[in-house]
Amino acid sequence: MKTKRKKRQEAEFNRRDFLKGGSLATMMAMLGGVELRAQVPEAKPEEQEPGALVKCGVIGLGARGREIVSTLTRLKEAEISAVCDKYPPFLKRGGNLAPKAKAVGDYRPILDDKEIKAVVIATPTHQHKEIVKDAFQAGKHVYCEAPLAHTIEDARAIAQAARAANRQVFQAGLQMRSDPQRHFLLPFIRAGALGNIAMARAQWHKKQSWRAAAPTPEREREMNWRLRNSSSTGIMGEIGIHQLDMCGLFLNTRPVSVTGFGSLIHWNDGRDVPDTVQTIVEYPGGVRLIYHATLVNSFDSDYEMYYGSDAAVMLRENKAWMFKEVDSPLLGWEVYARKDTFYKETGIALVANATKLAAQGEKPVEEAPFTNTPLYYALEAFITNVNEISTAVEDFSASFNINDKPALEKYLADIRLQPHATWMDGYGATVVAIKANEAVVKGQKITFQKEWFELG
Amino acid sequence: MAAAVFCGAVMVDAAETLRFEGRPGSKVKIDGTSTVHDWTVESQLLSGFMEFDAGFAKDPAAAAKSAKAEVTIMVRSLKSGKSGMDKVMQEAMKMPQHPKIEYKLLQLTPKSGGAEGTSAQFDATGALTVAGVTRTNTMPVTIEKVGETKAKVSGATNLKMTDFGIKPPSPAFLPIKTGDDVKIAFQWQTEQVAAAAAKTAETK
Repeated sequence: MKTKRKKRQEAEFNRRDFLKGGSLATMMAMLGGVELRAQVPEAKPEEQEPGALVKCGVIGLGARGREIVSTLTRLKEAEISAVCDKYPPFLKRGGNLAPKAKAVGDYRPILDDKEIKAVVIATPTHQHKEIVKDAFQAGKHVYCEAPLAHTIEDARAIAQAARAANRQVFQAGLQMRSDPQRHFLLPFIRAGALGNIAMARAQWHKKQSWRAAAPTPEREREMNWRLRNSSSTGIMGEIGIHQLDMCGLFLNTRPVSVTGFGSLIHWNDGRDVPDTVQTIVEYPGGVRLIYHATLVNSFDSDYEMYYGSDAAVMLRENKAWMFKEVDSPLLGWEVYARKDTFYKETGIALVANATKLAAQGEKPVEEAPFTNTPLYYALEAFITNVNEISTAVEDFSASFNINDKPALEKYLADIRLQPHATWMDGYGATVVAIKANEAVVKGQKITFQKEWFELG
Repeated sequence: MAAAVFCGAVMVDAAETLRFEGRPGSKVKIDGTSTVHDWTVESQLLSGFMEFDAGFAKDPAAAAKSAKAEVTIMVRSLKSGKSGMDKVMQEAMKMPQHPKIEYKLLQLTPKSGGAEGTSAQFDATGALTVAGVTRTNTMPVTIEKVGETKAKVSGATNLKMTDFGIKPPSPAFLPIKTGDDVKIAFQWQTEQVAAAAAKTAETK
């Protein structure tokens, strides 16, 4: 414990230090990358009482499904009751991650189990539709991985089923929509902190083949659904969907058109999906996103950039930085914020996250506050929302006639939910991704039609 | 006259009972204070019924004695907009043992109003049960006819948490202490149901 006096001395020191270097700090703030970070919530999640336990089933135990299983095991309010994959080695590996769950080769028993309230669907994209529809039929809450489907028809059928199932939660697996770091940035960017946004750029670079080894030719074919245009939405659909969705969210608009280019450069193993793609996504007002993704090289990994007349913002994993123009207005707080160096764009590390803390003489937080993956936050939101909606339905049913559909919908619409990708978000993003992939495959410009986004 | 509000709703013969049941669109609001800021919790789920003698229209003073009403609010449905605070409140109200707030009308005294098309004022004395503790409460209520078959009941009353054995919560980790006094205000939407429907509802 520090004495009050010592604390005060330190605070004095910091303040004096800052005043001394004030103009320099201001200048550096203008040059450097200013880290933008969300405030840590007052009460940490683990200090809060958990709600009711939600029993879940995970369907599809490939790499993504297994990541979902291990993430769910970390959530206090979730219990994995069953895992499912028709491929026994995957079932075994998935089952090992959740030893108490029953392991089944067919998803039917999961839907028939009345104890299981929610299912997470992480099967190959082209198999989503049937499972989602069956799961809604069985009264389950549904989390469905993105893209929702490999065709607009299937995606529409999923969205329609979700819309009709008004007592059940549907969440699309666009996990970045639940990421607190991005929710912190959203009002910041939407409020115009970047000035006039001129353009955006995003990338995803990773050297990996996407091909999975299998013991038989049939199994090989089934496992490598991503490598065939007939069942795959390619890099744009499987990866790009997340970054394109975020760009639309930050710019608060839907794209006008997409132009695509794709090549098979390196992984010439009989696949017909490109391993390297570039797309130009145009938004209203002439703002364009340049997106490139490749399975050939991993340099510089993945991030998104927004360029405005006052500043640029870089989003990278759970961090973000702002790079201000010299003639941009001084916001004030950026002077105190921590700085990082990006090649010639140098910043100065004053005191991390010091706006309030320095004034209070407290030790600043060094590490990023949100260290969980976006998937963690997305599944946490899903489980919380399942609890919220199911208790709201129960309470409504105990109070009024549950068959009064308009009144129930009105009541449920007022229930405060954790940020998540709704069926509408999921459908819109899937349409954009499918068309972006089509543009890549055909090497064309595709103009988005309003009716593609309509559910009918 | 107070009772004119109930005239002409649904054709009933004199011996029958007029029964109204809670409907969606209702709202109850609890306002309180704390050392940091004032707070509010709300719910839209006010279920229950009220019944009057058909003779109420003619002689309200006499028939008001036979008026019956019961209202239930699910504690879980009371929301502040902050899940942390909801949990603190649910704990203070001992929700696992007492999931409902219940109100039973004991006496309804007509005060004023009630001419055709206007609202009528009463003093309602009832037994209010919160967190398993029952206290008698008297509050002014207004009953207003809405359309042909609906009636809106509104009122407000001040309560003390400690009267119901509730310790004003002071959440862990936060330097906040809530005040003992709270104000409850409600708007209860009800709809007249036919006697047969009322019977079915009771046997449920």
